Amino acid sequence: MWSDSAISEEDKLNRTQTQAVLRRSLRMAKPFRRSVAAVFLFVMVSVICTLAGPLLVRYGIDSGIRKNNSRTLNIAVGGYACVALLSYVVSRGQIISVNIAGEGFLRLLRLRVFDKIQKQSMSFFDREKAGVLVSRMTADIESMAELVQWGLLGFMAAFLLLVLALVLLFALSWQLTLVALLVLPILVIASVKFQRDSNKAYLEIREKVGSNLSALQEGITGVRVIQAYAREGEQIRRFEESNQDLFRSHMHSVRVTTWYFGLVEFSGIAASALMVGIGGWLVHRQDVSLGTVVAFVLLLANLFDPVQQLSQLYNTLQSATAALHKLFTIIDAVPDVGEAPAPIELPRDGDLVVDSVTFTYEAGTRPALQDVSITVTAGQRLALVGPTGAGKSTLAKLMARLYDPDIGIVTFGGVDLRQASFVSLRDRIVVIPQEGFLFDGTIRENLLIAKPNATDAQIIEALTNLQLLERFEAFPEGLNTEVQERGTRLSAGERQLVALSRAALIDPAVLVLDEATSNLDPGTEHDIERALEKLMQGRTVVVVAHRLSTVRRADRIAVVSDAQVTEFGTHDELISLGGHYSVLAATWAQSQPQ
Amino acid sequence: MNDDATTKEGWRLLRATLKQQKRGLTAGIAVGLLWTIGKIAVPQLTRFAIDRGIERGGSLLSWTLLILAAAVIAGFFSGFRRFFAFRESRLTETILREKLFAHLQGLHVGFHDRTQTGQLMSRASSDLQQIQGFVVMIPITISNVGMIIGAVIILIATDPVLAIFALTPLPFVNIAFRRFSDRIHETVLKVQQEQAQLANVVEETVSGVRVIKGFGAELVQARKLQKEADDIQAVSLQASRIRSRFLPAIDLLPTLGLIAVLGVGGHRVMNGDMSVGELVAFNAYLTLLVWPLRNIGMTVAMGQRAASALLRVHEILSEESIITDPKSPVVLPKPALAQPVGAVSFKDVSFSYEVGHTDVRVLGGLTLDIAPGESLAIVGATGSGKSTITRLLLRFYDPQSGLITLDGVDLRALRLRDLRSSIGVVFEDTLLFHDTVSANIAFAKPDVDFSVVQNAAKLASAHEFIRQLPDGYDTLIGERGYSLSGGQRQRIAIARAIVADPRVLVLDDATSAVDPTKEHEIRDALATVMRGRTTLVIAHRPATIELADRVALLDDGKIVATGTHVEMLASNDRYQEVLASWSVAKEES
Repeated sequence: MWSDSAISEEDKLNRTQTQAVLRRSLRMAKPFRRSVAAVFLFVMVSVICTLAGPLLVRYGIDSGIRKNNSRTLNIAVGGYACVALLSYVVSRGQIISVNIAGEGFLRLLRLRVFDKIQKQSMSFFDREKAGVLVSRMTADIESMAELVQWGLLGFMAAFLLLVLALVLLFALSWQLTLVALLVLPILVIASVKFQRDSNKAYLEIREKVGSNLSALQEGITGVRVIQAYAREGEQIRRFEESNQDLFRSHMHSVRVTTWYFGLVEFSGIAASALMVGIGGWLVHRQDVSLGTVVAFVLLLANLFDPVQQLSQLYNTLQSATAALHKLFTIIDAVPDVGEAPAPIELPRDGDLVVDSVTFTYEAGTRPALQDVSITVTAGQRLALVGPTGAGKSTLAKLMARLYDPDIGIVTFGGVDLRQASFVSLRDRIVVIPQEGFLFDGTIRENLLIAKPNATDAQIIEALTNLQLLERFEAFPEGLNTEVQERGTRLSAGERQLVALSRAALIDPAVLVLDEATSNLDPGTEHDIERALEKLMQGRTVVVVAHRLSTVRRADRIAVVSDAQVTEFGTHDELISLGGHYSVLAATWAQSQPQ
Repeated sequence: MNDDATTKEGWRLLRATLKQQKRGLTAGIAVGLLWTIGKIAVPQLTRFAIDRGIERGGSLLSWTLLILAAAVIAGFFSGFRRFFAFRESRLTETILREKLFAHLQGLHVGFHDRTQTGQLMSRASSDLQQIQGFVVMIPITISNVGMIIGAVIILIATDPVLAIFALTPLPFVNIAFRRFSDRIHETVLKVQQEQAQLANVVEETVSGVRVIKGFGAELVQARKLQKEADDIQAVSLQASRIRSRFLPAIDLLPTLGLIAVLGVGGHRVMNGDMSVGELVAFNAYLTLLVWPLRNIGMTVAMGQRAASALLRVHEILSEESIITDPKSPVVLPKPALAQPVGAVSFKDVSFSYEVGHTDVRVLGGLTLDIAPGESLAIVGATGSGKSTITRLLLRFYDPQSGLITLDGVDLRALRLRDLRSSIGVVFEDTLLFHDTVSANIAFAKPDVDFSVVQNAAKLASAHEFIRQLPDGYDTLIGERGYSLSGGQRQRIAIARAIVADPRVLVLDDATSAVDPTKEHEIRDALATVMRGRTTLVIAHRPATIELADRVALLDDGKIVATGTHVEMLASNDRYQEVLASWSVAKEES
């Protein structure tokens, strides 16, 4: 059967890239070299068995039947039976061993790529689309599963079979081999053309399937709008168009296979016709034996099938090397925020100092922060305010070393964050993002994300401190309640409570908070406020603030505007300054009755 | 209905579809049988060539030419056998998918509310593929059966004794392949499940990367991933064990037949009971039979899968819409100077949603009148049923009791198309389609002039930003197109409602996604649109509520008070309470 793999022009690798990918894969497959060696051995034996069958038939006919020697015939039959059994045993072995090596390789690849993805810095995740990363780990690796299961095996076997069959045929009769070689080029040319055409056809199908699925999804998710505007007829017509498009692309590929499979069938039978005709003539001339002619007819399949297989596996191999190339690129990427070679422990407490920091997200764009200096003394609460996109979130992220500054330095207790060990950094400085993100699993497992080795007592203590224990225990199965599908069972507010509890479990010196802009359910609002207040007690806090109430509770306020800290001081100081902040505070006071 | 009966329903669906494809299928079967004849002729001709040509020194040319002729026949029809089989099966898939889509478009919203999109998607994609996979096999299997019958008859006629020896192992090929097909299918599904779980871990890691980085929790995720990678490996190896158990055995069985032919047949040739040509022909026929036998095994397994896919598709197609056009529809009164249109009235309306097996009551005895041209804001706590009012007005649902009228006509007496084209809704969740901006705005009336589209966009304060898009009004938007901000989408949705030029405009939380600093722009736009048009406003923001002439407070499934925003704010405690709870929740910069 023909394979579903297809590869687009832009994904195709050049020769050097392909060679590099193959060498690298071989190196990575080293742990499985025993299984690989076994596969080679098994394939070799199995190919020999395949060729031995027709040879034994020839021996049986020429030396047994034609000479009326039943002992020889029995030997041929017995030999054939032994070869068949051997072939059976070897086939079983080769399927198992190729999968042990292949699946082991894929597993290793999954672990390595994932590990490397996780080591990347935030800027990597800003750059790369989530969907692309997921498809690297899934579709790209899975595209190799086919190759692992039978593709490589098929490739090796087809290649060996082709070479050995040719050698054998020459040894049996060079004349008949030349006849077979008259037909073979037709098949080779047709296969190469088919490989190209079917690749193109399959790419087209893939694209049409994609747009058909989108049209389908749009029609289903948009059914309320469609019905509300009574546009069902129009939508059905549009879908039919996309559906017919898909049908046409399928038909294109069917036409491509139609002539090819016809030609393959024809050339196979035509070749045996020539064998019988020319072979018979040679038998008459006593150049070859009848057994040889029969063996040729039987062996022809072993010459023709590999050609087809090789051409079809070519697409699979190409798309697999392209996928591997992408995966190796990820494995080779060097994270731009890495741990220092000889990391230092951060002190338990201290001032958080940003000193003359300039930071740009993407080279060549405007800096997000320009020569910013600011100090948060231990235990102080700093609120960052300012227009959207002016740099306040960026400043907060640099303070937690989610990014490294291009120029300048960020220190905690006098230690450059870039010199700090990752463990101590995450223990001292905790970031709480705007939205509480939950992972699949129970509430407890979600808390343990922060501190995998925390004991039950520690969890309970942390929750009690935030006065949240009762709230979580009220869930049907308490802390063991499954959050389900990324936390859909919990409200946005409840998810935020989980996020706060995680921070409490760590007990950090510094909290970096991105305040939610909106949409927390009224029921949890109060609990969040209370828990947050408890959590902030006795800690240094940097909060990206969106609410007047939060800003009022801060010790210091920094206005970040146009990549710079333009105003800095207490609420009263900034109000009397009469700058940006005083305007902001006035609008807030109007729109937020409190 | 019991299982058997429903399975029959599924097959009936397939039969009905295939009936439309009678010609193509017949052609496929005919071509397949011609191919069979070509294939079966080859070993016979080879036999004659050996026995009469080679052995007796006769002429070989005619036999060679005859085999070449068979090659042409087999080659020609082999391609077309595939062609027809695949064309018809893709046609079946296409027809069924169209049918399914059209049916889904007409099904009531209640059905869509309780059915997951993913479920419906997989009906229309993977289930239809299963069915397609089976339909391909129909003509192919018929020609394969023809080939098996033909070959077996020839073998028995040539030498019944040898035929028994040679053919005995072959039925097992079929049985083994069928079992293999079932077993491997199960494990392949398991592998897919494990792959989905791994994808889930990767997905949550990438989207939760802030949390993971923030807490240095990379190890936790790495461990989760390792577990999933181990699982995939384990299940894949399980699959390979199944392959290793079946595939080599399936290869071995016909070889046993070939060995029997050489052994038993060889002795019969020496005894003079059989010719060498016959021996070779036996060999060739056995080889010929291997694929058809495997194929039939596969067809049976695929038939079982197709049956359950058909059943699932049938289940959806047999779902009937409970919201339908009336038998004798009434026409809405035409607007006239003396008789303004757009009067909406709810009389003692009660409605409950069915959640699982229990009914959750949302509205109980709701009575509400909106005069033509009046705008009314509905205010109520979260979950009080505000949006349900929109859904009832559009007849997404029918109330269990009570009466809803538009310009004095019971909604149920109106043709759905008439009702819905007189009501324009801007939903909270603004869904835009993958199309140009102008097509999205002209959604309700695709044939309107561009000037109408542009005017609507201007009214909705969308014109300015649309002009700045890469291709202006021709920019492709929607899921795979240019991505717009929530506020921009919202404004396009408002423009869409304006083009519809409805009798009644419903703004269902239409300003929620708009940046508060931009809200005043939209407010002006809305005020213009609402002027002189019956409008139902469902909003959380006081600024939007203020736009309405009148406010109705919805509490406990009824309207408990009405008045202007200012009056209500001054006199109604519950009203203040509801508004206050929003401002706490939604207090924003």
